[in-house]
Amino acid sequence: MKNILPGLGIARGMALTLNRFFQPKATIRYPEAPVNEASRFRGRLQLLYDEYGTLKCETCFQCAQACPIECIDMGGVDTKNRYHIHWGPPETYGERREESALRRSGRTVPDAAYIHFDAIDLGPVDAILEENEYDPKRMLPILEAVQATYGYLPVAALKRISHTTGAWYAMIYGTATYYGHLSFEPPAIRAAADAGAPVTQSGAAATGGPTPTGGPTPTFRASERSYLGALDAALGAGR
Amino acid sequence: MTRILEGPRDWPHILLRETPTPTGASAPDPTDLDAAVRAGAFDGLKRAVRDLGPTATIATISEARLRGRGGAGFPAGEKWRACVEQRSQVRYVVANGYGADPASGTDRLLLETNPYAVIEGLAIAAFAVGATEAWLVVRAGDDAFVRRLESAVGQASDAGFVGPDLLGSGRELTIHVATVEGAYMLGEETVLLKALEGRRGQPEQRPPYPAERGLFGRPTVVQNVATLAAVPWIVVHGAAAFAAVGSPSSPGTVLVAVRGPRGEGVAEIPLGTPLRALVDLVGGVEAGHTLKALLVGGPSGGLLPADLLDTPYDFESLRAAGAHVGSGSIVAVDERACVVDLARLLTRFCADEACGKTIPCRIGLRRVGEIGDRITSGRSRPTDLQLLADLAHDVAASGLCDHERLATLPFTSGMRYFGEELDDHLVRSSCPAGVCHPIAVPAGAAARA
Ligand SMILES: Cc1cc2nc3c(=O)[nH]c(=O)nc-3n(C[C@H](O)[C@H](O)[C@H](O)COP(=O)(O)O)c2cc1C
Ligand code: SF4
Ligand code: FES
Repeated sequence: MKNILPGLGIARGMALTLNRFFQPKATIRYPEAPVNEASRFRGRLQLLYDEYGTLKCETCFQCAQACPIECIDMGGVDTKNRYHIHWGPPETYGERREESALRRSGRTVPDAAYIHFDAIDLGPVDAILEENEYDPKRMLPILEAVQATYGYLPVAALKRISHTTGAWYAMIYGTATYYGHLSFEPPAIRAAADAGAPVTQSGAAATGGPTPTGGPTPTFRASERSYLGALDAALGAGR
Repeated sequence: MTRILEGPRDWPHILLRETPTPTGASAPDPTDLDAAVRAGAFDGLKRAVRDLGPTATIATISEARLRGRGGAGFPAGEKWRACVEQRSQVRYVVANGYGADPASGTDRLLLETNPYAVIEGLAIAAFAVGATEAWLVVRAGDDAFVRRLESAVGQASDAGFVGPDLLGSGRELTIHVATVEGAYMLGEETVLLKALEGRRGQPEQRPPYPAERGLFGRPTVVQNVATLAAVPWIVVHGAAAFAAVGSPSSPGTVLVAVRGPRGEGVAEIPLGTPLRALVDLVGGVEAGHTLKALLVGGPSGGLLPADLLDTPYDFESLRAAGAHVGSGSIVAVDERACVVDLARLLTRFCADEACGKTIPCRIGLRRVGEIGDRITSGRSRPTDLQLLADLAHDVAASGLCDHERLATLPFTSGMRYFGEELDDHLVRSSCPAGVCHPIAVPAGAAARA
């Protein structure tokens, strides 16, 4: 058909377009009733506070991730006040935004008093990256190796990983904060924090632990220890 | 040390090998390939590759109605078929041996005592769906254990059971032993795949299921290690023999980790065994005390009362009773334990481990736990019980992953079966077990607390 009558396709398309003129408008109210916004309205995003005065934003980046035109950018110190982060590709606006956020927070950049900014020798990081072929898919082994080298994850190392692998800084931060065995605190600080955690009990090792072939007791994270402790208490340990 | 509990003589051994008779001879090394092959290892793979071929292998697994042992009980055959139906050049198989619940050592025990059954099952699954790469994922932390597994995979590969030329079929299969650690949620299948991709461990919306779009976007079959360990047995003995074991809707055997005041251990039981028989395996409760509750399913398990001891241990019956198979952990406590306090601590663990992706899960579980805190410390508000019921329902109903669909079970089953005890805390300010101190404080002080 199409080949027999040249131009039929165009005519069909135009007919469809014309048809639309006689159909009711799908847009509700606009442009009949223009939105009446304040003269200073800039469509600014605002973070809200809850009734206790803490920021409701958990810096989860879901909104920035979902925004189709990437207009949401975030930078600042995370909810645990230990590390500053931003959303976006490395070496772009976000990077500078993060620095300005830090400045606005009253600290100088880089801040010698802020341990995460301590200058470190990045040689080992480069070696680790080389070994893993700068492959962002190998992010966990990379981060684990960095932690094994430095004892914790220094900010400078994460920046280097971001710049060389092309992985978004916030993504790396997300991965690094998610896994319980990765840490931003040097071992000494970590040990002190862990000492305050709920303590272990006798039976924990029994079920998850030594095996018929005699492996060592795996170390459990604090939350796992309190779960096992709750079971032990219910079973009457120490009664 | 994880003890293997032996059940009655007529319980078949499908997953665990028969424990050797104690005649002084030391048990054979489970990673000794020659010994394992003499005992019948890789017969299933040979049969699948040489006699059945991929399609008939999947049909056999479907016919045996093998269901996932990781907790959800999804039919394995259907998963494999869904994977095969995808148009893709590359497919993967992942064996989930993470063992998220630290109180359940079942997966670890299986991998320690019968590693070749898992490796063979993994190879059969990979052969059936046409995967060339497979991962055996376990929890990091015990290097010797990981090395033993790597050595087992290496031996199987050197012997030609897997590797560049799978049993001479011209197919390739590389098995990687991978370790992950650092979060409870890593046991969940989509989270596990994220970890293998080096990303943050948050579950994905399903569909698409991993069998359609999984690891690195490729169709991926994720299967619990115990599910895979049953596969060779089915291929060798036939689907009918497997379907004859256990209950009609859930055939076969499973591993359970039972703990009671008098003992603990892992047992292989036919599905459909009444809970009573499982409690008897560890000797029940101490003389002079009565069994009060069973926690069935791990941290997000349900708390079942003693009068439900005749409930069969299978996927449907447990769900109907308000518990689930979950991690296979069963904990029996006597009347000196407080059910409300236990539910509160379990909920706290579930909230601590929530990944943070969905808000009802992240915040709702935390609030459920806080209501529990208030009830056990005598600061409860008149609306708390209703709030607990509503919130628990909403969290479960808005679940993205099974964690939040199930994490309210300790409280919902507690409300269902132990209402009297909850009332004791709420109304009479007393804890029958003497564990909590629900002493009422003046209303003004409670509001300030
Ligand atoms: C919170 C959570 C934890 C889980 N942990 C495990 C686990 O440790 N091991 C496991 O095999 N499956 C676990 N699962 C189930 C997996 O998501 C998945 O269903 C299973 O690995 C699929 O294999 P199957 O069909 O053979 O059971 C978990 C699920 C959830 C929601
Ligand atoms: S980062 Fe997360 S918590 Fe913060 S505003 Fe965006 S979506 Fe909300
Ligand atoms: S979506 Fe976060 S734990 Fe399920």
